[in-house]
Amino acid sequence: MEQKVLKKDQIVKLYNDLVKDYNFYAPIKEKRNIIFGKITNPEDIVLNYYNSKVPPKEILFPQTDILFEYKINGKEIEIEEPKKLDEKNIIFGIRPCDAHSFILLMNFFSQGEFKDEIIMNRRENTTLIGIGCNTPKSTCFCTSIEGNPFQKEDMDIFLVDLQDKYLVEGISDKGKKLIKRLSWLTDATNADIEMAQELGKKAEEAIVTKIDLKNIDKILDPNFDHQIWKEVSEICIGCGTCSFLCPTCTCFDVIDENVPNENRGRRVRIWDTCQSCLYTLHTSGHNPRNSCIERVRNRILHKFCYYPENYGMLGCVGCGRCVQLCPANNDLRAIIEKINKIEQKKEEKVTV
Amino acid sequence: MLTTVKDIISENKVNDIKTLELVFKNEEDYKSFQYIPGQFAEISLIGKGECPIGIASSPTEVGSIMFTIKKMGTVTSGFHNCEVGDTVGLRGPCGNGWPIEEMKGKNIVVIGGGFAFSTLRSLIIYILDDKHRKDYKNITVVYGNRDSGEVLYQPDLEDWKKRDDINVILTIDREEEGWTDKVGFVAPVVKEVAPSPENAIAVVCGPPIMIKTTIAVLEELKFKDEQILNSLEMRMKCGIGKCGRCNIGNKFVCVDGPVFSLAELKEMPSEY
Amino acid sequence: MVIEDQNKDIEQLIRDLARKLLKEKEVDVILGYTKGTIPLTSLPIVIDKVEDVDKLIWNNLCYINLAKYLVPRIPTLMNEEGQKLKVGIVSKGCIGRALIHLSVEHQIDLENIKIIGIPCNGIINRKKIEDEIGEREIFEISVSGDNIIIKGEDLEQTLPFNEYLNDLCKTCQVKSPPSIENICVGECLENPVIEDDFSDMTEFDSKTPEEKWEYIKNLLDTCTRCYACREVCPMCYCNLCFVDQNQPVWFGKTTAYSDIFTFHLIRAMHMAGRCVGCGACSSVCPMGIDLNLINRSLEKIAKERFNFTSGIDPEALPPMMAFDMEDDQEFMMEED
Repeated sequence: MEQKVLKKDQIVKLYNDLVKDYNFYAPIKEKRNIIFGKITNPEDIVLNYYNSKVPPKEILFPQTDILFEYKINGKEIEIEEPKKLDEKNIIFGIRPCDAHSFILLMNFFSQGEFKDEIIMNRRENTTLIGIGCNTPKSTCFCTSIEGNPFQKEDMDIFLVDLQDKYLVEGISDKGKKLIKRLSWLTDATNADIEMAQELGKKAEEAIVTKIDLKNIDKILDPNFDHQIWKEVSEICIGCGTCSFLCPTCTCFDVIDENVPNENRGRRVRIWDTCQSCLYTLHTSGHNPRNSCIERVRNRILHKFCYYPENYGMLGCVGCGRCVQLCPANNDLRAIIEKINKIEQKKEEKVTV
Repeated sequence: MLTTVKDIISENKVNDIKTLELVFKNEEDYKSFQYIPGQFAEISLIGKGECPIGIASSPTEVGSIMFTIKKMGTVTSGFHNCEVGDTVGLRGPCGNGWPIEEMKGKNIVVIGGGFAFSTLRSLIIYILDDKHRKDYKNITVVYGNRDSGEVLYQPDLEDWKKRDDINVILTIDREEEGWTDKVGFVAPVVKEVAPSPENAIAVVCGPPIMIKTTIAVLEELKFKDEQILNSLEMRMKCGIGKCGRCNIGNKFVCVDGPVFSLAELKEMPSEY
Repeated sequence: MVIEDQNKDIEQLIRDLARKLLKEKEVDVILGYTKGTIPLTSLPIVIDKVEDVDKLIWNNLCYINLAKYLVPRIPTLMNEEGQKLKVGIVSKGCIGRALIHLSVEHQIDLENIKIIGIPCNGIINRKKIEDEIGEREIFEISVSGDNIIIKGEDLEQTLPFNEYLNDLCKTCQVKSPPSIENICVGECLENPVIEDDFSDMTEFDSKTPEEKWEYIKNLLDTCTRCYACREVCPMCYCNLCFVDQNQPVWFGKTTAYSDIFTFHLIRAMHMAGRCVGCGACSSVCPMGIDLNLINRSLEKIAKERFNFTSGIDPEALPPMMAFDMEDDQEFMMEED
């Protein structure tokens, strides 16, 4: 039998089997939020969750990432490269949208002449054991981005929640190999498989947010100077919530941090956001994106125009985090709706 | 890569622009650092940070590389406090650089303003090198500054003026005692010099307002969009197209630029 | 009167006044709230047509302090010719306080503003509701009688309204904006007198310095430094925040604990005697950090040491802007 069954009370066993060789990340509750944490006690794993507040991208691309450490001895500098990144990770419970975001992240970080080997290395050493979303939220819109709540292609192992157990399916070779290692998993019955299919159908039907993104890049491209950007940025307060909690945002800043009163320190990269006024501020004082109008435009264009132009797919996974968490409720879905209306106006003109 | 400061040259009267000459600590690093004029590098002072600076030297100047740095923020101020023998980190070369191959067989018009002249110096030194001079036709240089105290690379300019295979025109914004070259902004001087667009490439580098006015003049002179090259500035961090901030549309200035033809710029959103 | 009826009345008041102001060309635009796109939110809106006035709403989720949209940090509301617009702004008490304080700090010109005063009946603490409901999706939230009714799939829960208000709203004594001549319409307060015993602070104040340190440390450690608290705060209008300065760099930008802590505490110091107690920072924090306690502390200190409450008197200089030889100095000697 290709497909296996993991009982929910066996998750402790799964953890114990794998933790020797892997950092085991899974959803946990930290204060008010679900996040993907490195598990030290399998009892901490939360199984009843929609999705994490901070996307699991932080495992590949941590908010603070040490590039190297240095020591200064007078005129001489000693550089210490970070220790080899060969630790293996498992991300248990990653949702399909976030797993898809890893594809987008790697498209970007591994593209071009200069590759981000730190992140590529982490990705290579990471195995995704994802779980389908039986009950998507009303703000989820993965189906508008050619995904679905049971999309398994981007995972290594895909689980379906069957109440007291999970249906387990190996997707990639890496995943299949891992399942072989877990020889104690029992075979799934036909009834399990049918139930999973049924749940998949239901979940897809449960996605109520449908936004039309078919032509979005083509609409956006000629409308860089459209007045819509003033309209959709009017209430933006300019914080970084949407980008910091976005699974596909990749921007960072690089700074040197010295240890006070010691001749040593580290160069780190930290998350940055295109919504910050400093992001593009030239040393001369000139700022090509001087207000919310340009910054909101850049964010939307990056996801829905530039990324598709460069990589042939949308730069959004439809997780809905920015929709849920924007302080000013500047709803991405409403912005897309307004953008789609530009096109209609244009068509009207053409037909007249 | 690590380098050592070999020499420091103060370039202007107010002493806020200095040129640092760096030599590689490791011979292998030097060999692997193959660059062309117009490229930049990320240079860093460990403990202060890193910043992207255009390479002012030409690959034909063997043994070291040069950066001209204006004192502005934390990192550049750090460079200004450097002494000979200090260690400077280096990453690069970055960016596309001037298209030296495509420029072969052409008349070259170099137009620069102020402190942005560094990569133009690199280009001119490269072309004037004995090995390359025959590959290029006439060279006209228009170089403008606020006042005579701001003119960079004075020894080089002296050399060039002595040569008969390059036409150097200097200008400053306002009259000054003892100044024998031209007076006025760059754009009107270019109009006066009126270089021919015939088989020519114009290379423009300077502050945004100078670029704008000069391009207008070049268009008047019937230069085509493909014949006008610009080097853009942007806030940058990584220099390798990953940190995000230097995008104009779907292009990154640090890897797709900094050199863009006017034809390319017109295809891009005007967000720079 | 029960809360839902109060809300209806307030909403009607807003719409009537907005309609009148727009019709009589007293203002160019109305800044107010409209229905949010998801439960537990409201959406700030700028209205310039009389026929859109009915989009304006009032409910207990209007947590954004609209005064923020008038400070210079955010592009000012302008017309197409680039002239500043005359704005009618829907103002609960803390928005009125913010406007007055911003005027005292010379950040806005009240002459260009019409304050549409409304008697706020409290803002619901979104985070507390989310804690209560847990990992279940809320489809609808409403207020009925003394209760908040929450509905979702297989979910219907009733929570007592008073317990689920923002802590700052529970102690608020300035429900409507303080009245300013010729600028206020609607329900505004004449010379509000603040009598506050800060009894809600007794528990925190009785802690030892070490316990306070632990408490605040624990409070802040999930911060991602998205700066939503700063960006939503009407008093955070600096063109360049101290966090963003790089010459000199005051402290690090990482999420290391010391960096987060420094940011929040220095920001708190800048808020002393300036915070208007709107609670917007806590309402919007994506990580659910509740800054209300820090804000109450600041209010208490300003009141006890300087007998000052921000945003009440358009003529009174805030303590950090004025120096007086008689000012209490004893805090310099204190251990904590």
